[in-house]
Amino acid sequence: MAPTTVLVGVPALGPRYAKAAIGAVLPGGRPRTLPDAQLIREDVGIDLGHLAEYARACGLALDGVLPLTYPHVLAFPLQIALMADRSFPLALPGLVHVRNRIVAARAIGPGERLRITVHAADLAAHPRGAQVDLVAHVDAGGERVWSGRSTYLARGAPVPEGRPAASEPEPSAVEGGPPSAVWRVPGDTGRRYARASGDINPIHLHPLTARAFGFPRAIAHGMWTAARAVAALQGRLPATAEFDVAFGKPLLLPSTVELRTRQAGPTDWDLAVASRSGHEHLRASVRAR
Amino acid sequence: MPTNVRRAAVIGGNRIPFARANAAYARASNSDMLTATLDGLVARFGLAGERIGEVVAGAVLKHSRDFNLTREAVLGSRLSPATPAYDVQQACGTGLEAAILVANKIALGQIDSGIAGGVDTASDAPIAVNDDLRRLLVALNGARSLSARLKILGGLRPGQIVPEIPRNAEPRTGLSMGEHAAITAAEWSIGRAEQDELAAASHRNLAAAYDRGFFDDLVTPYLGLTRDANLRPDASADKLAKLRPVFGSGPDATMTAGNSTPLTDGAALVLLGSDEWAAEHRLPVLAHVVDAETAAVDHVHGRDGLLTAPVHAVPRLLERNGLRLQDFDFYEIHEAFASTVLATLKAWEDPAFAKERLGLDAPPGSIDRSRLNVAGSSLAAGHPFAATGGRIVATLAKLLHEKAATGGPARGLISICAAGGQGVVAILEAGR
Repeated sequence: MAPTTVLVGVPALGPRYAKAAIGAVLPGGRPRTLPDAQLIREDVGIDLGHLAEYARACGLALDGVLPLTYPHVLAFPLQIALMADRSFPLALPGLVHVRNRIVAARAIGPGERLRITVHAADLAAHPRGAQVDLVAHVDAGGERVWSGRSTYLARGAPVPEGRPAASEPEPSAVEGGPPSAVWRVPGDTGRRYARASGDINPIHLHPLTARAFGFPRAIAHGMWTAARAVAALQGRLPATAEFDVAFGKPLLLPSTVELRTRQAGPTDWDLAVASRSGHEHLRASVRAR
Repeated sequence: MPTNVRRAAVIGGNRIPFARANAAYARASNSDMLTATLDGLVARFGLAGERIGEVVAGAVLKHSRDFNLTREAVLGSRLSPATPAYDVQQACGTGLEAAILVANKIALGQIDSGIAGGVDTASDAPIAVNDDLRRLLVALNGARSLSARLKILGGLRPGQIVPEIPRNAEPRTGLSMGEHAAITAAEWSIGRAEQDELAAASHRNLAAAYDRGFFDDLVTPYLGLTRDANLRPDASADKLAKLRPVFGSGPDATMTAGNSTPLTDGAALVLLGSDEWAAEHRLPVLAHVVDAETAAVDHVHGRDGLLTAPVHAVPRLLERNGLRLQDFDFYEIHEAFASTVLATLKAWEDPAFAKERLGLDAPPGSIDRSRLNVAGSSLAAGHPFAATGGRIVATLAKLLHEKAATGGPARGLISICAAGGQGVVAILEAGR
């Protein structure tokens, strides 16, 4: 049984980012293995104002059920709380979100009380360093309603012992043909999504703070791009879905990007977001369960 | 070309609970509410992926970016994207007029099914830039050179920054709807006590209808609301009598926040179809649309009150259908204000008015008040302008269906007054 910490309230992210940034440059080693810990928030209600802000930031509708990607932002502060801790083997600053897989067992209503648990799993070698999965589960009334697995890459991190990450095939590409939509993504997209999601990683906020981390301009949150793609499929998504997103090149802000979709079944979709010059920012698949 | 007309069937309806402005749905747009209501209807009647003949809806307070509001809602819904849609707007008559348009196309055989209704938000209302600023920005957009742009910007004045917020006022009279209604109330000597009693009955009837499960298959919960937020089950004429008048002036002022409808957010839709379409889809027919009439009055320079057009529309509709005002089992008279309903009823009872203004030898007469708004109306439920027609059509169709199931054929009258001096009225029947 993993040691479990039940959190009261949402962990504040600002201090944790700051602490992690300082910790990253302080001397002292990090453990080589994942903490055997699980963070839990019990009886979490949905703040409709927050839901509306998230929906507006991502172009989603307030249609009476939670968007497929919304539980991710509920679980995200718990992910950060785990990753910002010194017991975590990888330094939080510099972690890159490379993949996100969501299983939605059923639609969640905004009036439901949720139990959110997060733990880390599968620290493994990656061709460019080390990767780890942050696994979130959302339960309602004792029933598992949503799960998310966020894969983060630490570039150049010491390769952990043991087997390399099992490489699950990525969603297939959608290339060629006219786009189904062109998005003009404004420069403040990162700040808007940061407010709505709590993900205040400086690479998303401003060109200057992004430059400090080696990006020429601020970049969009991967989960914003993913949510925006879900919004583009409003009315066409299955009620119970598996959503798999692989993130590619950073989406520099502002930009104009193209969405391509391919229907793979009545409510099954493959989609890709790419720049006009062909840099792929995201590819994803939605499958009915 | 079809040669025979058929009666359009009302198959059912769906609405979200109505919310008071700037409360539960403060962050929801017209598009959000209309799409949620459409998806609720689709779920209730198993229409996912179905190509419907057309969807017709509208909003009174509408942002210019929502020019294709209804079509966009269809594209965001689970209906087939091959379902066409268009917007209509006739103030508070929007929802009922939309239903009439759809019913007429069904009657002519042009379509076999359709969805009609409307949505409105007083919370997420469009705010326009001051008209002077708007002209300046349009000119700026068209300017070709930097010097031309600077010259235009030099004309910017602080007062132009003040936005224009939509007002519930008539463009030609400058009076609010409540002020217009107060004039009509004074003209017909509508007393305070009878207005409060009508308002209390609306709350009582709506609460009772919820309690007996009447709305279980007409309303889908939304953003935490399961019942209309304005509903006060314990409202009584005594309590309402304590409120201070807000419209009219002096000792004759009788209209309060309790006997006037509040600003409200919400959406409502009805599903219509031919009998054959309903049978093919194994769906019930609640009632049929018999006929409809829209009247307009000159509330600017003429003698009629802003909200009195139904007084003229109903007698015309009765005559065309060979019916008397008393030939109805249910009357659904939209409660814009309690005084509006009471003035309408009083006008129909007045022999002089009938002779001089309606051109009738005898007045339409009085109605059995126990048949009026028996499941509550706008004073209790609230009144998101364009949504009210859909609420009333679905409510009346279900009332008629219940009555016809036990007591033989049933007939109902709908009367909705609207801004601009218009009134939309219709007859529904069940069991014949």
